[in-house]
Amino acid sequence: MRAIYRVATATFHEAWRRRFLNAILIFAVLIIGSSWSLAYLQPGAELKLLIDIGLGSTRFFGMLIAVFLGVRLISDEIEKRTIHTILTKPVTRAQFLLGKFFGSWATVMSNMLLMSLAFYVVFMIKAPGFLLKTGGTPGEGPGIATEFLYSNIAKALGLTLVEMTVVTALAVMASTLFSWIMAAIFSFFVYFVGQVANFFKSLANPEHGAGTLSQVIFRLLYGILPHFEVFDMREAILKGTYVGWETLGMHTGLGLLYTVVILGIAYLAFMNREV
Amino acid sequence: MKAKPWQQAVGWALIVALLLVIQPVDRKVERDRIVLGMHSPTPLTKIVDFDPTAISGVVMGAALGGFRGLAATMMWLKMQELWDRGQGTWFSCLQVMRNVTLLDPYWIEPWKILGWHLAYNLYVETKDPQERGVLLAKGVAALKEGISWNPNTYELYAELGWTYFDKIRDYEEATKWFRASLQFPHPEYLERMIAHAYEQLPDMDRALDWYDYCLKRNPDDGTARGATTTLRLRYLPAWRLMQAGKYDEALKAIDQHLRVDPNGTIGLHVKAHIYEQAGRKREALETWRVSARVSATDQLARYKVSELSAELGLPVSPEEQAPTYLMEQYESSKRMAVPRRGRL
Amino acid sequence: MEVEEGSIFGLVGPNGSGKTTTLKLLLGLIYPTQGSGKVFDFPLGSPEYKQRIGFLPEGPYFYDHLNAIELLQFYGGLFGLGGGKLEARIEELLRLVGMWDRREIRIRNYSRGMLQRIGVAQALINNPDMVFLDEPTAGLDPTAQIEMRDLMHQLRDQGKTVFLCSHLLKEMEPLCDAVVVLSRGVVRRQGRICDLLAVQSGRYQLRATGCANVSMQSLRDKALDLTVTGNEISLLVADQPQALVVAQEIADGGGTILEFGAQTRSLEDVFIEAVAAGGSD
Repeated sequence: MRAIYRVATATFHEAWRRRFLNAILIFAVLIIGSSWSLAYLQPGAELKLLIDIGLGSTRFFGMLIAVFLGVRLISDEIEKRTIHTILTKPVTRAQFLLGKFFGSWATVMSNMLLMSLAFYVVFMIKAPGFLLKTGGTPGEGPGIATEFLYSNIAKALGLTLVEMTVVTALAVMASTLFSWIMAAIFSFFVYFVGQVANFFKSLANPEHGAGTLSQVIFRLLYGILPHFEVFDMREAILKGTYVGWETLGMHTGLGLLYTVVILGIAYLAFMNREV
Repeated sequence: MKAKPWQQAVGWALIVALLLVIQPVDRKVERDRIVLGMHSPTPLTKIVDFDPTAISGVVMGAALGGFRGLAATMMWLKMQELWDRGQGTWFSCLQVMRNVTLLDPYWIEPWKILGWHLAYNLYVETKDPQERGVLLAKGVAALKEGISWNPNTYELYAELGWTYFDKIRDYEEATKWFRASLQFPHPEYLERMIAHAYEQLPDMDRALDWYDYCLKRNPDDGTARGATTTLRLRYLPAWRLMQAGKYDEALKAIDQHLRVDPNGTIGLHVKAHIYEQAGRKREALETWRVSARVSATDQLARYKVSELSAELGLPVSPEEQAPTYLMEQYESSKRMAVPRRGRL
Repeated sequence: MEVEEGSIFGLVGPNGSGKTTTLKLLLGLIYPTQGSGKVFDFPLGSPEYKQRIGFLPEGPYFYDHLNAIELLQFYGGLFGLGGGKLEARIEELLRLVGMWDRREIRIRNYSRGMLQRIGVAQALINNPDMVFLDEPTAGLDPTAQIEMRDLMHQLRDQGKTVFLCSHLLKEMEPLCDAVVVLSRGVVRRQGRICDLLAVQSGRYQLRATGCANVSMQSLRDKALDLTVTGNEISLLVADQPQALVVAQEIADGGGTILEFGAQTRSLEDVFIEAVAAGGSD
């Protein structure tokens, strides 16, 4: 635990000093802040625009941060041989890997929390004004359902945190396998293909006329890929659906399972690797 | 310590076991999501009879994942910029609109604008009847596809109802979609629209029922009050006489009104309807012909001319007929069911 | 090969001879495909001995946002060190490597020499029984090289084992107690350095200057070999009595003996020999 904690804190501190990360964060907060005025560009759909910009950028920039931070974690250490000074101390590879993961995870989460906070503050201030426009007449509403609006947005942000946990693990895993550029390409690829995992499921359906082998491949892909789309709660927000804690718990559990599997693969790849 | 091969094997076995554990959890989560309407993935099956390129759009949209909403909004802003440049960009606008609906099918506004743009703006851009037919059919299909994504709000039902009412002049079909929209919180005018549609059809009993309903809901509804007064004054006497089987008197009564307003569409429709009820199909046909002549937009009269001519085995001149594409819509509507409340 | 406790051990060989690979094997960074080894009686790569070793990699790179103190706190933390004890240790080490005055500077701004110094400090943070140093003097200026050598002697005097890896033979020669010469992954020579350099022939070497009045012919008759470079001559003679005779002759002729002793080989000679032997495999 001690070694994990030490490696994690060192990783966390180093990550926060990375200029590109700070740049992404500042840019993201600026964009989120700009939804303040951008919302007026879309009369009748101000709330939707506000949510799309806020949630969308939190997810998008969160993913960028998680990937670009994670993919350099292990490969950089190997390249610069810092890893030699660490693994020759009483630190096992598992501890090192977990330390690196938790360090970057803490960085990603703190970045995410900052972005979420920025968005939520903007939303809390701006949304009531847009909601007032409803005036009780259907057809002149804010363009989206108003039920559970605030709580659903908070929950959606929470699910995004879970999603980014999985993305961080994915990037760390890629980092144990490839150089950072390859690892970044790999992470983006898995992330985007994971978004369309359902597509593979429907392709595996015999109705679509795929051959038996293709069906097996599609089904396997569906089984292996993390289904990142399950962390999307946008429809619930737009339609004002109540999302219970139990449901959120299931989603979080699923995200943690993904994380465990990905880190497990990362460890298996890393444990006998020459460094 | 280097891991032995068997240790690695155990490790991979554990990974596979975990992946197997994930499957039921994943299934449960995905079921919950669909049941709760948290976010359902974009199934290709919902693209109704629209365009094959939509499939790549859907895949693209899905790949954008969480950013699709933002992408849709940005594209929508771009569309408005194009729009403001004028008519020359209308077909470009169409592409952008369509992509917005693929990216963010839960956003109602683009569906409405898309349907209207196809069935109205682009429709009048072309004189080619075949093109018009395609555009109109696409407009209707777009709205229906939009409804399949957003079945729990009045807006797209009302929009489709209006398209049937105003563009296709299929009043029967219009009332179905307007009625469907009433299942959800809706603006008052939709109830009146149903009454207006029945007036045109003509079905004065139903029209009166709906006006009464409007007035019971809101006694201050001036429009409904005015409309019901007019209806009672102009058409109801003839209508009642017709219902009593006194066709000649009924015809006399409606002619009295038609002397004042010889080109009144509703009056002509009522007159034609009385002839039909009286079994005087030829005169009914003639009346519909008159109505079609005096009003360029009275497509219902043209459908009736076609129907009755066919029934009587008479030839129809092309200019008397409704364009084929409208006729097709009118015919196909008769086979269409109206969606019930809830998800499709 | 074996390393004696409390000595300075050198692993020498040309680039690509397998020095770093050997080192990595010993440190558990890579794993042997065959064969085995032990460090303090523990098998290679086992975590048990890592408490007792220190390592300075070649051309080290550290988390460069930290300063010297923070870096050593981090590495100390990995050993579970902390508190006042660690602080005292850090100060001691920073003074030892001459970095105490520069302890607040971020590693990002370090020179090559400073990196090497802090690298040594981190390798010693746990007061290890054995330190592995990969090319410790590479890229250092002469003063720093001498300081580094002194430091290694100091470590040995404290009873620690120092394991050096280098292709810089000149530096290893005055430093190491024992060396292993490696070429193409095979041990070519090994042993205590005095043994390796010892002369089997019993021949003597002389170097002298100011021999203008000495009969070259006479010297040439007594020597096995004589070379004249400028006003300096060097001779190789068969044995000690003969060498004394020659020396006397030079002294009598007014010459100055610069060097007089048994013939030795430099480590370089051993190295070249060994590599040449490897080449003929």
